[in-house]
Amino acid sequence: MFKLLKKALQVGEATVEYPFKPLEVSPGFRGKPVYNFEQCIACGACALACPANAITIECNLDEGIKSWNIFYGRCIFCGRCEEVCPTGAITLSPEFELAATTKEDLCCRADFRLVRCRSCGEFFAPAKELEYILANLENIGLPETAVATTRQLLEVCPQCKRRRGTDAAIKSLYWSGNHKQGRK
Amino acid sequence: MSPGTQNKRGKKYLDALRVKFGAGVILEETYQTPEQLTITVDRNDLPEVVAELYYSHHGWLSSMVGNDERNINGYFALYYVVSMEGNKNPQDNLWVTVRTLIPENDPQFPSVTPRVPAAVWYEREVRDMFGLEPVGIPDARRLVLPDDWPDNLYPLRKDAMDYRYRPEPVEEKYDFIEVEGEGIVEVPLGPLHITSDEPGHFRLFVDGEHIVDADYRLFYVHRGVEKMAENRMDYDQVNFLAERICGICGYTHSVAYAAAVENANGIEVPLRAQYIRTILLEVERLHSHLLNIGLVAHLVGFDSGFMHLFRVREKAMRMAEILTGGRKTYGMNLIGGVRRDILREEREQILQLIRELRSELDELLDILINTPNFTMRTRCVGQLEREVARDFSPVGPNMRGSGYARDNRADHPFGAYERVPWEVISKDGCDVLSRVLVRVEELYQSFHIIERCLLEMPPGPILVEGFSYKPYTYALGATEAPRGENVHWVMTGDNQKLYRWRARAATYNNWPSLRYMFRGNTISDAPLIVASIDPCYSCTERVTVVDVRKRKTKSISYKELENYCRERKYSPLKL
Ligand code: SF4
Ligand code: SF4
Repeated sequence: MFKLLKKALQVGEATVEYPFKPLEVSPGFRGKPVYNFEQCIACGACALACPANAITIECNLDEGIKSWNIFYGRCIFCGRCEEVCPTGAITLSPEFELAATTKEDLCCRADFRLVRCRSCGEFFAPAKELEYILANLENIGLPETAVATTRQLLEVCPQCKRRRGTDAAIKSLYWSGNHKQGRK
Repeated sequence: MSPGTQNKRGKKYLDALRVKFGAGVILEETYQTPEQLTITVDRNDLPEVVAELYYSHHGWLSSMVGNDERNINGYFALYYVVSMEGNKNPQDNLWVTVRTLIPENDPQFPSVTPRVPAAVWYEREVRDMFGLEPVGIPDARRLVLPDDWPDNLYPLRKDAMDYRYRPEPVEEKYDFIEVEGEGIVEVPLGPLHITSDEPGHFRLFVDGEHIVDADYRLFYVHRGVEKMAENRMDYDQVNFLAERICGICGYTHSVAYAAAVENANGIEVPLRAQYIRTILLEVERLHSHLLNIGLVAHLVGFDSGFMHLFRVREKAMRMAEILTGGRKTYGMNLIGGVRRDILREEREQILQLIRELRSELDELLDILINTPNFTMRTRCVGQLEREVARDFSPVGPNMRGSGYARDNRADHPFGAYERVPWEVISKDGCDVLSRVLVRVEELYQSFHIIERCLLEMPPGPILVEGFSYKPYTYALGATEAPRGENVHWVMTGDNQKLYRWRARAATYNNWPSLRYMFRGNTISDAPLIVASIDPCYSCTERVTVVDVRKRKTKSISYKELENYCRERKYSPLKL
């Protein structure tokens, strides 16, 4: 008993004054994921990777809006979103004081404009994502002349691309068929 | 551990089975890894084969998995995982899984429990979840499904229900065992548990102060994680779910899960990643053992010891924070390795923390062990007899406190445990004290393992990418959690998801023998006994006192019982 008393005196105070003083966390601590709208291109990689479904993506094809949502109430601070984000738009901060009085305070939402498909006129991809891809292609040395054509290609929705591809394939089949016939 | 690098093991067991039961007994044999063998037998041979491996060849029942394979081959399947250990050369140890197929139109099988008591919980569970009837099982009550769950709805059958479906409650019923006899009282303990503040209902049958027998109902917090993983998550996300099976030993689950998938797909984890996993597993053991020793101190009424142990424990939490960015849930695993490397300055910080922890613990444990009250209250309390242990396959310090040196880290080495020297700790007092002492010594082993791993860690990659995920392959993954081995069994699916995932937490194997540990002790020891197996309710999961002499039942609140456990005065039974 005496030893313990000595020990207690020697240790002194073991508690910290939190919440009256800030609490230091180690570097690399995984706290609240902070979202940077400027950088986000609404690609949805984070939503796919998020194990807890804290990040979700909704598309409104009538209004042409893709919305990115995070609900901190579900977040498990794993940092997968940070890991997969191509643009660094979401990063885990040292912040851990997330208590809120209403559920809504734990939500964060961002809306992105979608572009229409050049061919069918339906909304399909976020404008920012296309710009990001183009800018990247330019960065890695896509010649200026090709930029415009690539843009035209990019602004066609996957369905139309597929349709165009099938059309082209049929045409070429037809053509080669004719060709063969012609040779006969 | 990858296939092909070592010779296949276990031939001697196969030969022995053939000699005993005839050459035709094994219908099929397949290796998942060199140390994982699955043999298929006819369901009528099942009890004999399992019992033979268990009792004649020093096997232990590590898990049992039910699986609805009707989409694959038209049958239900059962997998009894028997750990064959105790060979002189650990290279001869292996897991033998006894598999049997059960036709859809006749969903029953002869129960293994009368032969091997350790199978009881598994068979009750498989009946709840799949509707496969173990014929001849001595205890046919419900185990995991809630009491208000409809009959004939078996959640894990593939065609049973959507995972979001919540059935209408039906009338609750659960038959606790009844102990008749002169002067026996029933003492309900729960529905909230003493020590861990978790739900579990215990019924202690007492004669005066002495516990004659006990019964318990757990699984009030069954969360259906297996079903959720199979339905909603892809295989890489399940790592994070697995980690949330337990709030204390979560990381071991994550490692066991990852290892199961890696084994099933033949993925070889880089050495550096294995060292990092080993370090983190030991950091987790430090904090968990310190927590449990602290709780025992609290329960014998030595609260200042409890406070100091928790103060010291903070250093272990700090280690985790430095290494992983999370204090408790590390989130470090992916299939194929880990997500974060250990840097030089982090290494120095950890080594420093270990030095501090060591000297602090030396002093504290010295005080604790020399506190007369402590040894008085724990010696010869909660005896887990060796014969009972043999029948029920308990794991972890619970087992090692009864003289069996079973440790998954040594018996089926994984990670870096084979590469650094360390010892398996065992004591033969069979009581609470022995379990505490096992934990104490294991702390020092952990310090040692962490130090060695940090110093000897080879450079190199920490994650493999670009492997292919093979559908419908299955394998085991196992780790030694602070409370015993965790065994995960995984069968992959064809859509980046799991077809079946069976996570067996350590405590699952420890609960069934608890009944025997209660017998002969006094009520005031009950919380201590439960705490000494370091239970984990979510891994599994109410207490009633029945006076057999006065024929009266009484429920005792958590506070009352806890106080009685600590002070041993003002018995709530007498009031
Ligand atoms: S930290 Fe994890 S759980 Fe939280 S939003 Fe990111 S991916 Fe989702
Ligand atoms: S991954 Fe990054 S860029 Fe893509 S939607 Fe998420 S936050 Fe935005």
